[in-house]
Amino acid sequence: MKSGNAHDHALHLIAQARVEGIAEADSTWLRAHLGECEFCAKHASQTDHALRVFRTVAISLPDGLASRTQFRVRLRADELREHGLGRKLLWTIAGVSWALGIASAPWVWRAFEWVGHRTGAPKLIWEVGFVMWWAVPALLATGVVLAIWNGRAGEPE
Amino acid sequence: MPGPALFFSTLMSDEAKTIARGLQKRDPDLLDRLIEQYQYRLFRYLVYVTGSRERAEDFFQETWIRVLERGHQYDGKSKFEAWLFAIARHLVIDWQRSKKAQSLDTLTDPEQEHPLQLANENDPSPLHQILSQETQENVQSSLQKIPAIYREILVLRFQEELQIDEMAGVLSIPLSTVKSRLYRGLEALRGALQGGAA
Repeated sequence: MKSGNAHDHALHLIAQARVEGIAEADSTWLRAHLGECEFCAKHASQTDHALRVFRTVAISLPDGLASRTQFRVRLRADELREHGLGRKLLWTIAGVSWALGIASAPWVWRAFEWVGHRTGAPKLIWEVGFVMWWAVPALLATGVVLAIWNGRAGEPE
Repeated sequence: MPGPALFFSTLMSDEAKTIARGLQKRDPDLLDRLIEQYQYRLFRYLVYVTGSRERAEDFFQETWIRVLERGHQYDGKSKFEAWLFAIARHLVIDWQRSKKAQSLDTLTDPEQEHPLQLANENDPSPLHQILSQETQENVQSSLQKIPAIYREILVLRFQEELQIDEMAGVLSIPLSTVKSRLYRGLEALRGALQGGAA
């Protein structure tokens, strides 16, 4: 290996040894090179010194950082819990109303039919009335859910 | 017979899974413990990334709020600190983007000649505020010369001692980019401390 290449190779190995490690053979070659090359040995020493200094840098923590953060996190946890309860309640109400709606559908149909006969309304009208009876609350509920969804966009589940 | 490495690996894996289970339940006691346990490391990371103590403090709190909210996304298969730093980093990048429409990388890429921008150039340097001990004055000014993108990679590797693949996960970049940044960062550190503290 030419002298210049040897130095380049050594400098690369010095960095590689500290970043990702080097093979035993490379390590042996590097030790031998550093033993005879003052420039590369100084480079290795400066690198180690820099890393040592970097590792010893101390950063002081702001007073009460942990306790302030814990307080904020607990507040947010309470908010999330309340939102979670609200969502559960909404889903429960939606489920119960669907169940009741399905269960009561035959009676509601007969009621619309009876009113249609009594008033002489065309069949299409009271059938549309029955569909509206079902669709309007569902559409309103969907609107509410979408509004809540948009309002909480980005919020976790 | 299993060696100590396997023992510690299993222990860490168990710890990560315990944390994952606690975060799924949003266990407040667990979060309190994690905040205490990781406060120094997270704050240090944020200081190196943002270059500002005040910003680091804000992001510190936001990071833990995000941990509470997104805790169910942590599966316990990776180190908790790697996931924590990734969350913190995303918050910083989101903030940078909203402020300057630029990512942390483009903002601090030395090849694009965008040095770390300080909030107010009349104020003392943020790193000066952070490193208050007189004996570290040379070190502070030396570290100030290193772009944030390299300070970040250096703190992850040489202070947090993350593996290269873990760093790639935190930074969302390929392994080759992690390595090239590490080499450049190491050279920048050597050069900076050679002229400053060395």
